[in-house]
Amino acid sequence: MKPLSRRTILRGTVGGLAAAVALPWLEAMTNTTRRARANGSFPKRFGVWFFGNGVIPEQWTPAVEGAMWQPSPLMMPLSTIKQHLCVVTGTRVNTLNTTPHGSGPAGLFSGDSLSGSEFTQGSSFRAATFDQRIAEAVGGDTRFRSLETAVQPAQYGISHAGPNMRLPIEPDPRRLFNRLFGEGFRAPGDMTMPDPRLSLRRSVLDAVAGQSRTLAARVGVEDRRRLDAHFTAVRAIEQQIARLESNPPNLASCRRPDMPPESIPDVMGRPDMRTKSRIMSELLAMAMACDTSRVFFHMYSQPVNNTLFPAATSGHHQLTHDEGGAQPQVGTILRYIMEDFATFVNTLARIPEGDETLLDHTLVMLTTDCSFGRTHSVDEYPMIFAGGRSHGLRRNTHLRARGENASKVSLSIMQMMGLRVAEFGMGAGRVTEPLAGLTT
Amino acid sequence: MNLRTGFLLSVVATLGVACTQPAPVQDSGVGSDASVDDVPPVDVRLPPAAAYVPNHPRLRRLTRAQYTNSIRDVFDETLIVPRSLEPDKRPEGSSSIGGTETTISQRGTEQYQDAAYDLAEQILRNPMRRAMYVRCTPAGVRDDACAGTFLRTYGRRLWRRPVTEAELATMVAISGRAAEALMDFHRGLEFGLSTILQSPNFLFREEIGTIRGAERRYERYELASRLSFFLWNGPPDDALLDAAEMNQLQGDTLAGHVDRLIQSPKLRRGLDAFVTDWLRLEELDFISRDATLFPAFSADFGPSAREEVLRTIAWIVLERDGDFRDVLTTRESFVNRKLASIYGIPFPTRGAGPTQFERVTFSPAQPRRGILGMAAFLALEAHPTSTSPTLRGKYVRELILCEAVPPPPIGVNTAIPEPNPNARTLRERLEVHQEVTSCRGCHRFLDNIGLGFENFDALGRFRREDNGATIDPSGSIDSTPFADPSSMATALRENPSFPRCVVNRQRRRAAAPGARAARALVRRRRLSPARIAPRDGARRGVSTCERPRGSAAAAPADTGRRRDGRGQRRHARRHARRH
Repeated sequence: MKPLSRRTILRGTVGGLAAAVALPWLEAMTNTTRRARANGSFPKRFGVWFFGNGVIPEQWTPAVEGAMWQPSPLMMPLSTIKQHLCVVTGTRVNTLNTTPHGSGPAGLFSGDSLSGSEFTQGSSFRAATFDQRIAEAVGGDTRFRSLETAVQPAQYGISHAGPNMRLPIEPDPRRLFNRLFGEGFRAPGDMTMPDPRLSLRRSVLDAVAGQSRTLAARVGVEDRRRLDAHFTAVRAIEQQIARLESNPPNLASCRRPDMPPESIPDVMGRPDMRTKSRIMSELLAMAMACDTSRVFFHMYSQPVNNTLFPAATSGHHQLTHDEGGAQPQVGTILRYIMEDFATFVNTLARIPEGDETLLDHTLVMLTTDCSFGRTHSVDEYPMIFAGGRSHGLRRNTHLRARGENASKVSLSIMQMMGLRVAEFGMGAGRVTEPLAGLTT
Repeated sequence: MNLRTGFLLSVVATLGVACTQPAPVQDSGVGSDASVDDVPPVDVRLPPAAAYVPNHPRLRRLTRAQYTNSIRDVFDETLIVPRSLEPDKRPEGSSSIGGTETTISQRGTEQYQDAAYDLAEQILRNPMRRAMYVRCTPAGVRDDACAGTFLRTYGRRLWRRPVTEAELATMVAISGRAAEALMDFHRGLEFGLSTILQSPNFLFREEIGTIRGAERRYERYELASRLSFFLWNGPPDDALLDAAEMNQLQGDTLAGHVDRLIQSPKLRRGLDAFVTDWLRLEELDFISRDATLFPAFSADFGPSAREEVLRTIAWIVLERDGDFRDVLTTRESFVNRKLASIYGIPFPTRGAGPTQFERVTFSPAQPRRGILGMAAFLALEAHPTSTSPTLRGKYVRELILCEAVPPPPIGVNTAIPEPNPNARTLRERLEVHQEVTSCRGCHRFLDNIGLGFENFDALGRFRREDNGATIDPSGSIDSTPFADPSSMATALRENPSFPRCVVNRQRRRAAAPGARAARALVRRRRLSPARIAPRDGARRGVSTCERPRGSAAAAPADTGRRRDGRGQRRHARRHARRH
């Protein structure tokens, strides 16, 4: 028997879960066997924490490389969580940089250049984003394959399940709560009989899937691809229902969070990003702790967003362009965003899992849509990783990777999540090896 | 061009796309019917047929509005249609094109599922509705014949075609099993109705046709759907479906049905769908303003502003049957109390609620005219604390004149000076756009229009001063000068690009070509690559919109200069290719 199946069995027994994805690393065999036993039942999660409009590279990059690093001026709010972080600087998106705020995310997440010349809510990438490739591989065990959430109101995020399959996002805390913890949520150890209507709903979905297949036989290749996506989604929901009918995994830290308020009022006519971000963080963290999903893409703010942050004299995007000099106002906004990121990381760190924490079992990637917001450059792409102890992330360090292709980072993450992939990206975005130094 | 004409021309497009090479408009029978009496001689020539990629038949996913309209048309107006549905996608500003591209995500599938059960409960648990829609009395908990009658009737209306016997058998069986499990005929029927509502046969419009020689012929039910969704933004009614069933959708009968659809009050929905896409009105849901600068801003601002545009255009087109170009110059508008206070005009009715709109006429002394004088445009194309002549100019170029404006080149330093004694107004501060060659190429086309709206602040309120200095609202559109927004409106009205733009957009909505073909319909303005990426800018690796001061601080701190230079040249090449 291959060594990696040992972990699979371990998880299968302890977690009460269906067969897990094959995990190609040998951590369980090599280091700290004790911890592997104690924590082996906890799944590995991955999530993106995204904000729009880039940074100010000169004030972003920490001065010192390696373990002796200190947070840069823009990262000061992260000082208290420094030990959980791996700051990666110097990589660049190699695909065509034609479209402000769009080319960066397209290159980084899909490994390919953006299709079309504009990046709006109507645009699409040419390929699936890597978070969705991870979701496809590891999401089959959970009720939701992946979660796409937001703080700033918007309809679509960055994640793509495939070309032209840009995924909608949920910016409403109450609606997210209802989806995750409302009807259909079963607390750990809940042994009550599932609702008899669930199996009826499955028979309806079965008929709908059949209709999708029949229709697909009449249409062209492109439409067949679209119907296949619908068919797959219908089948996934059937599986969701099947999961509801079985007993939920017994995860000690899982509980139903407090119901968020119906709406979060503006403060002085400005969106209360802080409160909303805190609530969304708690919901996402609990979704992970309850193993409702293992992959998320959380969009704090959108590319080109013009959010009016506290004390700013203009919207965020406008300031990145109009403000001269060292852009003190943009700096203040970025530090505000980092404070909210720190809150998110701390929320994960407070949830125990075995003798570690949820953060240890979650690899979080913070990034944005370009490097310098003012010029839309995609060199020196800003990225910070947090958590990821069980993924082997090298932590409390500043990894300087000058001139490296940002796609290497994407490939690294997929491999750290256990995917057997040897390459990522197309054309100038294509790489065949991970980024050296990201893992221990 | 009056709007009736515009609409009919577009109907021609709907019918015309039955040919892989659309016939010229004037050759079409319906088109010549459209020559209504007092149409001013306006050039509404459509692009040559070759500019259209033959309408490629694609499944079209229902937009949110089409979903809602389908439920309300097939059942009744009082149903509460869930609003959490897969969002519309608007590539090239068109939900019509978006519908041909997008699929249904897992989240969307969940939402359609929730909506289906929600609606089925509303329809089958309310005794009045149940009596209205289920016309047979079930013989017991399970009555396949009664269930079949209901599912056949509503399946046909919702799927816009007859339900096949095999499809019906599956849904009858589902309803029967559910009825037995839940011991209730109508509860069981909810599962059958939910199947209809979750089906791709409902969520996607199948208008594909078959190719015969050089033509693509739409099947009769497909043609019925194409007509009703284009004109009503909703499903065919029974009369149209019956005509399709009897194979009558051709010749005079077809023309009669088109006339009937155009006379219906539902035409307003088709018009609204067009205007919403055209003027990007859905984005009004996402704007925000600094409350200290704009105390008048509140959550109902966006919806109020949108309603004003929709009502005013509907008034001109459907009530007055006027010249469509009047939408730019009309002094009539529809406002509620909120908008009246923003515009500084008295509101006729005392004690009116936010949904009460009244028709008002702006005095000729006011510069506020037409849709470009309305809060929707003025607030949409502004920042949270200030106006944006650039965004406003871009909106006019792209939406009113159908010209494409390229994004700014990568690597440009876009900083503009803060207000200072030498440059108090935004016009003065934006002088850099005109002085620096790399900016001037595009900005002279944008700012010269956008600065004409400076008398309106970021919420659409009138003002004479900016930072204490008097605003100069003059400018020019290409070679036509204007003195203020009022004369700009007149200039735009007479611009031959405007009617062509509207008709092309309408036609595009009907035909829903692929996004690439849609882009081909937009005129690309000639911009010299040299103006976009000046040689010195390319050599330095950056180009700047700040006045050349020679100070190091003005240059961006970016480390990737070489690459930025490359991006610039690419940008220039992309421009060159478009010529």
